Amino acid sequence: MPVTLVNPLDERPAPQASSPERLASLEGAKIALLDISKPGGSVFLDRLGGLLRQHYGVAEILRFRKPTFAKPAPEAVLADIRRSVPHAVVEALAD
Amino acid sequence: MLALGSIAPRIAGERLSGPALVCFFKVDCPSCHLALRCLDTAARRLGEGAEIIGISQDDPDATAELAQSLAIRIPTHSDVDLRGSVAYGLEAVPAIFVLDAQGRVAARSQGFDRADLERLSRHLAHLAGARDPGPLGAPGIPDFQPGCVSRHLEPEGEGAIAAPLDLYSRQAGRASRIPVQQGADLHEWCYEQGFADPLPVVPPTAERVDAMISGSGRPADEILAHVPPNYAPASVEKLAANAVMAGCRPEYMRVLVPALRALCDERLDIHGVQGTTHFAAPLAIINGPVRLEMGFACGSNVFSNAARANSTIGRALQLVLRNIGGAAPGRIDMSTLGNPGRFSYVIGENEEASPWDPLAADFGIAPGRNAVTFFCAEPPRAVSEHKARKGAVLLRAVCAALANVWSYRTCGRSEALVVIGPEHAATLGRDGFTKAEVRGFLHENTGIPVAEYDGDGGEGTHEAGSYEECMIRGVRCYRKFRGPEAIRVMVAGGPAGKFSAVLGSWATGPRGSQMVSYGFD
Repeated sequence: MPVTLVNPLDERPAPQASSPERLASLEGAKIALLDISKPGGSVFLDRLGGLLRQHYGVAEILRFRKPTFAKPAPEAVLADIRRSVPHAVVEALAD
Repeated sequence: MLALGSIAPRIAGERLSGPALVCFFKVDCPSCHLALRCLDTAARRLGEGAEIIGISQDDPDATAELAQSLAIRIPTHSDVDLRGSVAYGLEAVPAIFVLDAQGRVAARSQGFDRADLERLSRHLAHLAGARDPGPLGAPGIPDFQPGCVSRHLEPEGEGAIAAPLDLYSRQAGRASRIPVQQGADLHEWCYEQGFADPLPVVPPTAERVDAMISGSGRPADEILAHVPPNYAPASVEKLAANAVMAGCRPEYMRVLVPALRALCDERLDIHGVQGTTHFAAPLAIINGPVRLEMGFACGSNVFSNAARANSTIGRALQLVLRNIGGAAPGRIDMSTLGNPGRFSYVIGENEEASPWDPLAADFGIAPGRNAVTFFCAEPPRAVSEHKARKGAVLLRAVCAALANVWSYRTCGRSEALVVIGPEHAATLGRDGFTKAEVRGFLHENTGIPVAEYDGDGGEGTHEAGSYEECMIRGVRCYRKFRGPEAIRVMVAGGPAGKFSAVLGSWATGPRGSQMVSYGFD
């Protein structure tokens, strides 16, 4: 007789996600920068935004901010990003 | 399996009229093939008036193909959506039920057992007033062969479609059953499946998990919480399987159910704690009579491996976070140095040695009631003070440890739990300190000297302009804590030794982790 074990794991199928296509060029693009509000994140994003404009011809930098790094982004922040229809979003993950 | 005497549920909306024998099967189950061959023989001998019906867990095309290859003629119904299989409470197939004229279950069997099939066929013949179909053996048919797990309890395969995230349902699908060959080393097998922390587990056999579920007094499919960061549903059955692996006793479910709910309370923000690089791990503090009833360690070695209740309940919760929530070390959990409390982190308050109300009373739970309180904590840091004769002197030693929680020069952000050892508690009680006075004293006397902010930078220094300045024993300082409410005080530990402990927090307040306390009976 085989022994029957009860599966103790999460059995939901893992959601499939694939990476979006990379932008062919940043020239004239609208780029969103999401600050997760870790200390130092805004300094990094300020510099990144400047470099994207100066060296890569990015037309517009949009800034967004999570209220806290400790929790998922609230739906309102995600909706704001979606409404602005950027070509790409850069998320500054940590300090 | 559906109990004897139960009214047989409908299959695909149809009520089956008795007397009849129904056999649930799936096309890729060799034991089902044996049962279908025997039942086909029985059906030919019984003739009309004693119906034998197959219920397939697969689609009609695959079922028809199987019937043709086995050369069987019994009628088959489809239960491809598996609702009938759930309603009949199947665990394995073949699963056979004899229904009487009123549609009640008169006999049943699971797996392939030729003598059992002959018994059920005889029972059907008796109900239908027909002749016993006799022995059903044939060349190549063994006496016995175990069944296969019912289709609805199989693990989801690759390529299955993920359902949208659902945080509101209260009822889960049942956990899948996994047959493991007899003779396999179950400890090694569980480890290879990634069921566990690196320590050996008690294999979660169906019998042990059923006993654990019974200990909760709740239905197996009730969802207790959605466990971050993946927000996977934790049913009573899933909690029970992890509790078995951790080494819990069934009666521990009385604590585990409210503990899991508290652990997944949004205010505690276990989502963030599971993903942090910090040391934090959820510490559970137990109050109330349940401490003594279940043998929780509250005294000597309270943070160690002293009692089964502490060690296994804490381990069960950690296994749930990892196995159901999805935060395994090296994947989501990327803590830089970790925390030994990630194996298990549960302490009981030594209420008998405390001059004050229990910790849970801070959260409005009446003293004397059972409660589990969570604090996402660093590992304990030691306070040794054997010479202080006065409460105020020993509390200054506690202040020195408090000054270092989170980051030395960061002020006003963190919280702390101070676990006062019984000898220290006796000194404070003798000096007439109330708990509020202890918290007030610790707040007033914990600070970082302003001289430490000498312009060379470092964590916490760039925010110093917002800190509250004060004088502590003639030294200009910034206050470490925002107020006495940021410092919690409780009593635990053994009777000998003048030690206490200070545990720092993770990110706090509504934007981080807030302590939660759940009362229970």
